[in-house]
Amino acid sequence: MKKNIKKTFALGLAIVMCIGLVGCGNKPSSSSSSTDSTKVPSAAATDEGSKAEKVSITIATNWGEGDSKYDYFYPAFQKFQEENADTMDLKLVTYSTEDYKTKIKVQTASGDLPDVFTYWGGSMINDMKDAGLLLEADQYFSDSKAVKRDDFNPSSFDYYTAADGKTYGVPIESTRGVFLANKDIFAQYGLEYPTTYEELKAVSKVFNDNGIIPLAMASSGGTPSEFFFSELYNQYAGAEDELKNLTSSREFATDNAIKVATNIQDMIDNKMFPEDTVANGGWAACLQLYTDKKAAMTYTYPWMFESIPDDIQNSSEVVAIPMLPDATVDPATMMTGFTVYGFEINKKSYEDTAKHDAMVKVCDFLASNELSTELTKSGMIPAKNIEVDLSTQKVIYQKMMAFSEGKKLIQVHFTTMPDADAITMMDSSLDELFIKALTPQEFVNKVQSVLDKNN
Amino acid sequence: MKRKISRLGLSILFLAPVIFVYSIFIFLPMLSSLYYSFTEWNGVTDTAFVGLKNYKSLLADSDYWVVFFNTIKLVIITLVVQIPMGLIIAFLLYSKTRGMKIFRTIYFLPVVIAPVAIALMFSLFYNSEIGIFNIILEAVGLDMLKKNWLSDTHTLLYAVMAPQVWQYIGLYVTIFLGALQSIPEELMESAQIDGANKYKTFLHIILPQISSFTSICTVLCITGSLKAFDHSWIMTGGGPGVRSAYLGVYMYKTAFVNSDFGMGSTITITIITVSLIITGILNMITTMKSNN
Repeated sequence: MKKNIKKTFALGLAIVMCIGLVGCGNKPSSSSSSTDSTKVPSAAATDEGSKAEKVSITIATNWGEGDSKYDYFYPAFQKFQEENADTMDLKLVTYSTEDYKTKIKVQTASGDLPDVFTYWGGSMINDMKDAGLLLEADQYFSDSKAVKRDDFNPSSFDYYTAADGKTYGVPIESTRGVFLANKDIFAQYGLEYPTTYEELKAVSKVFNDNGIIPLAMASSGGTPSEFFFSELYNQYAGAEDELKNLTSSREFATDNAIKVATNIQDMIDNKMFPEDTVANGGWAACLQLYTDKKAAMTYTYPWMFESIPDDIQNSSEVVAIPMLPDATVDPATMMTGFTVYGFEINKKSYEDTAKHDAMVKVCDFLASNELSTELTKSGMIPAKNIEVDLSTQKVIYQKMMAFSEGKKLIQVHFTTMPDADAITMMDSSLDELFIKALTPQEFVNKVQSVLDKNN
Repeated sequence: MKRKISRLGLSILFLAPVIFVYSIFIFLPMLSSLYYSFTEWNGVTDTAFVGLKNYKSLLADSDYWVVFFNTIKLVIITLVVQIPMGLIIAFLLYSKTRGMKIFRTIYFLPVVIAPVAIALMFSLFYNSEIGIFNIILEAVGLDMLKKNWLSDTHTLLYAVMAPQVWQYIGLYVTIFLGALQSIPEELMESAQIDGANKYKTFLHIILPQISSFTSICTVLCITGSLKAFDHSWIMTGGGPGVRSAYLGVYMYKTAFVNSDFGMGSTITITIITVSLIITGILNMITTMKSNN
């Protein structure tokens, strides 16, 4: 009898453990790091009839809390969510940028992409495109009554156009690289903005003698060094074409690349950058040296404008990058300018007849003039042809737009590199170049080896 | 016979959930990793069987060897620092029982803090502009020792290792303290009556008595180092390049950042292989010792 009780107890315990496991496995939730803004349906909305009408749509983005666009995107999203509460269960999932890239890659692998998600283009979408997971943007444009392809700058589609000539994304954000100089610091030491490399060396010496970092430029995970490298690259003869053709030529290891890498190391030798290029690397840390007035110059992008205090915006001037030795293209005539971000549409979700109309509506929201106008307040340059009232924008934004007048816009390696892992290698090798762990030739070879391996 | 069967059935019943979970989450992923290590796969398109190509590429990859030796260095440094430090601190606490519980808690505290928090904290400490390490060095007149801890190839790897090594010393303090407390009082008293001083008591009585605990700590130390990830990933992302990466970080970057799941699986298999080899060697040593 006693044994039977024990056995029954043991059996019961085992069953409870199994149920517990199943229970744990069933927990329906998104990651704790995500922002899940699904609205709890009201009692009335949970009846059978409402359930049948409502469509569940997931939007994923890296414009979550902490991102410069969050304050402008989220209210617009909430408004859209409320307006469509009767027909859609909208779920917003957000992650920080690097986590977001990984998340989307994993979801790509598991075939579980969000219905609509903001993302980069170029080589970053190759895998999704090859797997047939992305919708051609033209199909959306033909279905949408509110948004047409002609509403956009034609060149903005280049970044989302694959080798097959089809476009797999809708551009939202264009950008410009800006070289900022703090006019107060320059005035304090009676210095002029440098236009040549020799002048840059001279002002750097004065700044260093006075405990000021000449140029806030560093490299952690390739930021912001990667875009700075491309900006310098474009000063050399033939570089523009080399960059434009990089996708097809797969030639990163050019003489110009070695020249730029050599110049960067010369800048390091001349103490133009902060000594600790890893700790001060990354967009935010690097810019902070400038906004804290520890550095006299910096190179940044509009997505960081939100982090520049008003007084620093007022005392900043957008100037041309000094011309490097042997360079042939005057940097005062050009600046980097390219489409850098947009959104992708999950083909499977779009072709789901139950979801189709809601998908079009969500895409219309993401591609709307209203949202783009809101996002310009964070420093974003819209990819759409819309009038931006400059008087309502940040001072630094106005200065950037004034400086870019008449400038030739040039590409960067990030948008034309044919393989995503080559970009990763460029980023990590730049980190090594900046701490002088690699020679210019070794740096160039490392990136080229990835391109060769994938060829 | 019937009783034996029922006992067997009961054992199976109790073990089944564990075996089931272990199979699903450990054995099957290991087997699938082994399969994927022979393929070229970006996680999206179909897998392509490439035989030993990934293994050949990996062995010819200079970055892999940098990472491999970083991991071996971490194993050695944790063994050399964590276990002796843990033992020494535990012995000191054991010898001076006053306030022992408080100190034990203090030493154990870092162990329960998330490695991510520790890594973030240390990356701030190392910052050349605002980091406390350089500020302290300057304050005490040791300016010449100021470094760009994370940007100097000579200090980078060790700067990334330091928080991990420091964080888990408390774990070994706790284990060794428990071990020391389990030594029979009579043994210690006998040694003292026989005229053994503290040094001799430690060497000839305490160390042999806690040898089984030392073995456990060694295994924990080695396995902890072989799967090291958090500190390196948070502080430097394994970089610059792969200079502060361990095998776990390199595998993650290869598979999830570069979407090369075939090669990522190959790295995983090498981690498992290294773990098995080291565990095998440890088992051999332990068996030899116990036989002697």
